Amino acid sequence: MASAGGRRGFDRARQKGHHGSAMGRPRVVVVKSSAVWTPAGTLDPAVLARMFARGLADLTGERDSAQAAAAIFRPGERVGIKVNTIGGRAISTRPEVARALAAWIAGGGTAGRDILVWDRTSRELRDAGYAISTGRSDVRVFGTDAGGAGYENSLTDHLDVGSLFSRILTEFVDASVSLAILKDHGLAGLTAGMKNYFGAIHNPNKYHDDGCDPFVAQVFDAPPVKSRHRLTVVDALTVQFHRGPSYHARWAAKFGGLIFSRDPVAADHAGWAVLERLRRDAGLPTLEAEGREPSYLRTAERMGLGTSAAEVVETVVGAGP
Amino acid sequence: MNRRSFLRGAAGAGLALGAGLPAVRLRPAASPAGPSPSQVEARYYVKLPDREIECRLCPRSCRLGDKERGYCGVRENQGGAYYTLVYGKACTLNVDPIEKKPFFHVLPGTTALSMATAGCNVNCKFCQNWEISQVRPEQVDHFDLSPEAAAAKAVSSGCPSIAYTYSEPIVFFEYMYDTARQARSRGVRSLVVTGGYVNPGPLADLLGVVDAVKVDLKGFSEGFYKAYVRGALGPVLETVRAVAASKVWLEVVYLVIPTLNDRPEDLRAMARWLHDTAGPDVPVHFSRFHPMYLMKNLPPTPVSTLEAARETALAQGLRFVYIGNVPGHEAESTVCPGCRQTVIRRLGYAVDTSRLKKGQCASCGTAIPGIWA
Repeated sequence: MASAGGRRGFDRARQKGHHGSAMGRPRVVVVKSSAVWTPAGTLDPAVLARMFARGLADLTGERDSAQAAAAIFRPGERVGIKVNTIGGRAISTRPEVARALAAWIAGGGTAGRDILVWDRTSRELRDAGYAISTGRSDVRVFGTDAGGAGYENSLTDHLDVGSLFSRILTEFVDASVSLAILKDHGLAGLTAGMKNYFGAIHNPNKYHDDGCDPFVAQVFDAPPVKSRHRLTVVDALTVQFHRGPSYHARWAAKFGGLIFSRDPVAADHAGWAVLERLRRDAGLPTLEAEGREPSYLRTAERMGLGTSAAEVVETVVGAGP
Repeated sequence: MNRRSFLRGAAGAGLALGAGLPAVRLRPAASPAGPSPSQVEARYYVKLPDREIECRLCPRSCRLGDKERGYCGVRENQGGAYYTLVYGKACTLNVDPIEKKPFFHVLPGTTALSMATAGCNVNCKFCQNWEISQVRPEQVDHFDLSPEAAAAKAVSSGCPSIAYTYSEPIVFFEYMYDTARQARSRGVRSLVVTGGYVNPGPLADLLGVVDAVKVDLKGFSEGFYKAYVRGALGPVLETVRAVAASKVWLEVVYLVIPTLNDRPEDLRAMARWLHDTAGPDVPVHFSRFHPMYLMKNLPPTPVSTLEAARETALAQGLRFVYIGNVPGHEAESTVCPGCRQTVIRRLGYAVDTSRLKKGQCASCGTAIPGIWA
């Protein structure tokens, strides 16, 4: 559990502004590391841990992990980490990344049993390499389809959205982190932190018309998400920058980055910028030129969910401690 | 099927809310409610480069990458091939009065084995069966029922017909098609209750194996279809036109929703279009709306509105115009257009009396169109 000092850190962060920036201007931190990949092509957990520590320190302005965590989560809160595993092992939020975030949160004072890594189904989690865990002693990992979880009994009817939300989000956790994967999306243009919450509703297939606009913004704006979302972390270690959301090796790049923000719109804008950078490097047209820029981000900004004009800080983490 | 069985989580397996996160248990892999999709390849799609596909079943033309599902939620691209996940996976099976579908000119007073799977290719805000139509197959309890078994079940249940209904049967097209063929081989008719949002090619194939189609015409403007149905009117009108031009019996239902699709000029235009396209004998049912799903902010349709709609349709020359969802209303009954005598008197879903003799009015001998035997 967070200490009293952690509580003070949370209050300080609140005084700095809703999105945790000292100047009141939302901040995005992009942490890159070429050292995160081992020669064998696996992820180096030590480097990952440093990327998280650095990113969240820069985001919150708190060098101490406990203070940084306390700036994001309240003491005693149960924290859900919503991952995106629809892409299988090739292009999903990596289990190593989820573990590193869970460890960072636990290091900040949250008990392991109060941290839950989740997605739509346990099968998709398994297929993406996660070990399902439903015990009570440590970080738990399971899908909404797990017995005892499921969807809410009542529809959430919010603007153009009518959906049943996962009880994991509405009943099992108090605070939510969108730990998304960064991908091109044939219909939406981009899938990152905001669209990740499509995996929290029972009927995401109904919201892919018109570039998923305004549905991505409206699902996020719905009380089950908006009231719990605290942090976006975008796994941009491997980025599917074209022909997503499915995996295509020739359009997947090892970008080696993690994107952090408490502003969901700003985080996704930063992800969009990365995507465009990789597309340009590959000689591909912009999403706008292809008529599929993520217009839902403009809608989200108009709805007051965040900004496209955040302060973006880029940091590189090396191999050594 | 009811919402309780869908909302599995509510049953909860010993939730312990007091200490940290609640306890959960994983559903056994063999559970019938678990994700055990069928592996029957879909019939109407084209393969594209890079393991993508384009569905050609309905006008949405969903273009999907590997592991993605269509708008209907029941068809999935698996490695560049497209599969229906609901073939042989019924979620609902009931013996219903045929009047409940409603079909008023098809075998009155009989029962129809009525079946559905999960899924729908639109998202009507007033859906009456959203708990099965607006969910994915793994989110609803279902059971194995092969086309052969469904046809045999109809026979053993004394049902002269099978109705594909409740959700949207177009999304379980392959299952419906094969069941209809099995049913026909046993002398059982097939009735399709659909929103009509389907491409002409699949529809033509379907019309070769079924006997009657009831189209839910949900409005008569593209604006209404876009805003409240999440579909398009044009393809539905083409479906009505195609069924009317075929040998398959057609009936049309129009759910009248207060303030949204009840403008007299729209109803008049719709009735005129139906008359000109399907002829004066197509039965039209004006059904009463009840607050439902995402449209609970409107009152039930005033009966006077339904009666006005009926008068409008009759004035346009349609000869068999009914009022639905108003049990006991006189417009539930079939009136002979020749002598104005009641030919079939209905009370709710029941046939009270029938004065139909070999498809003709017993009083004056006027032929009443329909499937009567």
